[in-house]
Amino acid sequence: MSLSEELSRFNMLDDRDFKLELLLDFAGKLPPVPQHLMDADDRSNHKVHECLTPVSLWTELQDGKVYIHADVPRESPTVRGFISLLIKGLSGATPQEVADGPTNPLHDSGLAPILGMNRQQGLAAIYQRIRREVAALTI
Amino acid sequence: MPYAHPEVLVSTEWVAEHLNDKDLRIVEANEDILLYDTGHIRNAVKIDWTNDLQDSRTRDYISERYFADLMSEKGIANDTKVVFYGDQNNWWACYAFWAFRLYGHAHCFIMDGGRKKWVDEGRELTKDKIRTIPTNYHVDKLQEEKVRAFRDEVLHHMHKRKPMVDVRSPQEFSGEMLHMPDYPQEGALRAGHIPGAKNVPWSTAVNNDGTFRSSGDLRQIYEVELGLHRDQEVITYCRIGERSSHTWFVLTYLLGFENVRNYDGSWTEWGNLVRAPIE
Repeated sequence: MSLSEELSRFNMLDDRDFKLELLLDFAGKLPPVPQHLMDADDRSNHKVHECLTPVSLWTELQDGKVYIHADVPRESPTVRGFISLLIKGLSGATPQEVADGPTNPLHDSGLAPILGMNRQQGLAAIYQRIRREVAALTI
Repeated sequence: MPYAHPEVLVSTEWVAEHLNDKDLRIVEANEDILLYDTGHIRNAVKIDWTNDLQDSRTRDYISERYFADLMSEKGIANDTKVVFYGDQNNWWACYAFWAFRLYGHAHCFIMDGGRKKWVDEGRELTKDKIRTIPTNYHVDKLQEEKVRAFRDEVLHHMHKRKPMVDVRSPQEFSGEMLHMPDYPQEGALRAGHIPGAKNVPWSTAVNNDGTFRSSGDLRQIYEVELGLHRDQEVITYCRIGERSSHTWFVLTYLLGFENVRNYDGSWTEWGNLVRAPIE
């Protein structure tokens, strides 16, 4: 499923609590970061400064497809869930598909009003960071 | 030297011993809306700042009626002892405590050290949902004039040169940054602080493990170094009033200041207000 499709699926859940349950589910399914990336010397370069939670992000291009890895503490399940959802929707896409992808995933998923302004800004920044990094991969 | 109101702060051990008490309700209030669902103290309910306490149309807290409904839903009666705890050094627990005081809830407590201390001590977390019994809650009288300051009152306070504590980071206070380190731009169009405010970052009041510092340490910080007296009218603020409610709690309950108000509009209001004076 593309990111747009994942977000639509989220949005179709009418009940706020169902959406949160699904987000929590995603949080549990965030894939671990490959050890060689965690151990690498440049680990600190991957920290996402725009977010209060200590998040580290890696984007890679393999055979023309984008792969994303993220390290997010377990005490931040909302951030884990959101990034896990993004990764599921974006992994294996081409850089062009990522660029053409949704511009406002919090809105498209229906999560924006549930999370409130305070949380939205950090999450939106993470998504923008991913998009920027993917765009830079093709240069 | 003890805190002014030591009974308001309870330990993790106390909570562990009392969590089945019938007249008690434990409330988890976090920055992360899903954290409670990953596991919480047995019998605790979740209260979320955005979804439960904020009015969805205007920038304000919910009406008295909605608060009464919320209390009923959470199984909280007028005489229930409510113990707050949460993540982020109990910021949001203090914010919820402050919000409950707006509606005049009598018996509010904070679990010292918050969620992190509970977890670090290896105490039990559960995903079990507690079944609450609806109560007949009623809000007698809004108490907000005692604990909450609005924009015009802050302006007046400033003109009278009365004490204000800006609890943000030094860089936010000076105007070097419009947001917390590692936090995204908050959307305030101007940076700096309210003229006359003094900067004491909220974290000055806590130990590394998130517990509040001793009465002696707090007196040193706020009374000796900052020069505040407990009979003064003090206003605290930060960005949206969440960090400053932590300091409000410290001044009011730990140091016994009698007239402290939290300016919840804080910098997101002042920093966007046309012609508001800024230093």
